[in-house]
Amino acid sequence: MIERAGHLPGLAAAEVAWLQLDFAAWGESVQVSMPVLTEEQARALAAHIRENARAYLKTLPVAQIVTTIDKAIARLLDRDDPWRRKAEAILPIVTGYDRETVRLGLSGYLRTFRAPQLQRFLAEDFVNPGILDVFQPAMKGGFSRAHGPELLLHIWAGNVPGLSLWSLISGLLVKAGTVGKVASGEPLLAGWFSQILAEIDPKLGECLAIVWWKGGDTESDEVWLNEADTIVAYGGNEALAAIRERVPVTTRFLPHGHKIGFGLVSRAALDTRKAGPLTRLVAHDVMRYEQQGCYSPQMLFVERGGKVSPREFAELVSGELARFARTHPRRALSVAEAAGVAAWRAAEEMRAFDGGGRAVLGDAGDPWSVVCVEASEALAPSGLNRTLKIVAVDSLDAVVPLVAPFRAFLQSAAVAAAPEELFRVAALLGEAGVTRICAFGRMTAPEAGWHNDGRFNLLDLVTITEIEQAAELAAEGFAAYVD
Amino acid sequence: MKFRDRTILVTGASRGIGAAIAKAFAAEGGLVFVNYRSSTAAAQAVVEACQAAGGQAVAIAADVTVPGEVEAMVARVAEEAGRLDVVVNNAFAPYVFDPDNRARFWETPWASYQAQIDGAVKATYTVCQAALPLMRQRGRGAIVNMATDLVARPSIAYHDYTTAKAALIGFSRNLATELGPLGIRVNCVAPGLVWPTDASGKTREAVKDQLIAQTPLGRIATPEDVTGPVLFLASDWSGFVTGQTLHVDGGLVMA
Repeated sequence: MIERAGHLPGLAAAEVAWLQLDFAAWGESVQVSMPVLTEEQARALAAHIRENARAYLKTLPVAQIVTTIDKAIARLLDRDDPWRRKAEAILPIVTGYDRETVRLGLSGYLRTFRAPQLQRFLAEDFVNPGILDVFQPAMKGGFSRAHGPELLLHIWAGNVPGLSLWSLISGLLVKAGTVGKVASGEPLLAGWFSQILAEIDPKLGECLAIVWWKGGDTESDEVWLNEADTIVAYGGNEALAAIRERVPVTTRFLPHGHKIGFGLVSRAALDTRKAGPLTRLVAHDVMRYEQQGCYSPQMLFVERGGKVSPREFAELVSGELARFARTHPRRALSVAEAAGVAAWRAAEEMRAFDGGGRAVLGDAGDPWSVVCVEASEALAPSGLNRTLKIVAVDSLDAVVPLVAPFRAFLQSAAVAAAPEELFRVAALLGEAGVTRICAFGRMTAPEAGWHNDGRFNLLDLVTITEIEQAAELAAEGFAAYVD
Repeated sequence: MKFRDRTILVTGASRGIGAAIAKAFAAEGGLVFVNYRSSTAAAQAVVEACQAAGGQAVAIAADVTVPGEVEAMVARVAEEAGRLDVVVNNAFAPYVFDPDNRARFWETPWASYQAQIDGAVKATYTVCQAALPLMRQRGRGAIVNMATDLVARPSIAYHDYTTAKAALIGFSRNLATELGPLGIRVNCVAPGLVWPTDASGKTREAVKDQLIAQTPLGRIATPEDVTGPVLFLASDWSGFVTGQTLHVDGGLVMA
């Protein structure tokens, strides 16, 4: 099977050099051809996108953009649609996630981009989304209008299927000419989505491009970083710092670094009836996408004093992960990933020998790993790929000092607690830097219109042009009808 | 070699069905702890038979109704093997199956019931309590409890014995429910009359003939007949089976 990545309006495939990446999983393989543009082609593509966005995308009412995106998403949600069938067939091979994870993950995720959800998304950031179309009266007087960048560059990372759509769609909603650089781990869905958009509205298809260049290819980096007006970049802090160094000072740079998700379980959730179903949700969050997402849990803080102890809770989570190992087998790990998991587990086992109430559950050969710790321990990354540390705490308040030193890495926290405690703890976590409090079972599925990393994802992209009240009044003086 | 690198504890394994089960696990490569109460020589003979069969075996004395002795036994298993994959609760209180001279209900004191309940349920309870931490740590394990087909079909009313085994089946189902989420399975094997064993020595030919006449497979079970189903329920071949009672009586009981 050969699949071509990217979306390159204005460039014929034959003019472009292609580099082949090989993927294999679940007994199948696929070859993905990645476009390798020359500097000249990259500049021409940037100009093409910029011009078409200016001439067409900027003239579309935002409601029409919503309608077009909705149609494209509907096709990806329709399991009989050829694009969807292709996604279900190829993404498991490319990403290594099992078919059911891809299928369920795609449907759950894409659902957050249908028209009503997109409207909610717009309303989250703009009191009046009409501000993206025409000048709207401002509260303070005068008029305002929001403009997206002419050329918005996305640099995506990771291998969670479709994660790229999040920022891609954000850019389209603010009418930005869009160039997305796909990650080698999942290079396809963004291109497919762009091609679907082009099928629905060919002129819109001319306003966005999906490209790729090799990591470390500083020449390509240089071209694109200089072409873009605004850059949204995902990845580790080192990679982001390397990009930031080369971004022109006048370019808006919006980095989304790695995060460590975690969870808190109050004793209110730890009776013998509620604990079981809760552990299933926890295991689900750990299993889904093998903790590759920024929102995935890597550590759990479980309160003592419930009927079900933290240790018992850990055993139940381990049991649920054992079941998921059957129903959603872990993807084959790379040598480095497998070594990472083994090193994490071995280090925990070494520490367990020293006592201190540390238990490493399961067998070393299990495709998951749960460690339970009785002494309080600060937030730290797990070995990923279904590895989880469960730390016993005397109260949920005790969690705050354990996570607060890592503000830059905080984003999602799942909380299982009664309402009063939820709000009290949420306030403390928010102060510490957590930007998303969610339910267990939903950690990997942020709701429509969420504020990624606590930012206004649309508002951050736009600039506001204001007609001051005085200008408006002065204009009256120049009108033909003035008395 | 289905049980290579696996550790199995069989209670009451110095003779009869327990000895046959121990040997069968050994023949599949397992490390078998041969529990016995007092028959040291017999247990040692079973150990030797296990080794001859290709496995490893250790004789280990403990009265399974005495918590302290059971804890010491499991501690030794942990020390010597570091793991426990299978527990077969086979030991039971001394009982003589004598159809000709059995105690009828009005001749059966509560003490007889109590003795059987201690032998069947308390012993299993005690062993499970001691063994569970080892199994829970690894999130896996299989427990097989020996019951009887008399619970489903009391061909002869051995009130105290059968009532205790009925309680053991109920006990096992509850335990299966509790331990399933932790990855540990609990099942029962319910043989019919097994001959020859010490306990069934007094059962007369006439009774056996009567049972045989009603048994589709047309004979009485031997101790070796029981081992296959026990090994099946202890292995991952039955990985999705828990809370079940498997009758091993040639089809006398069909449930």
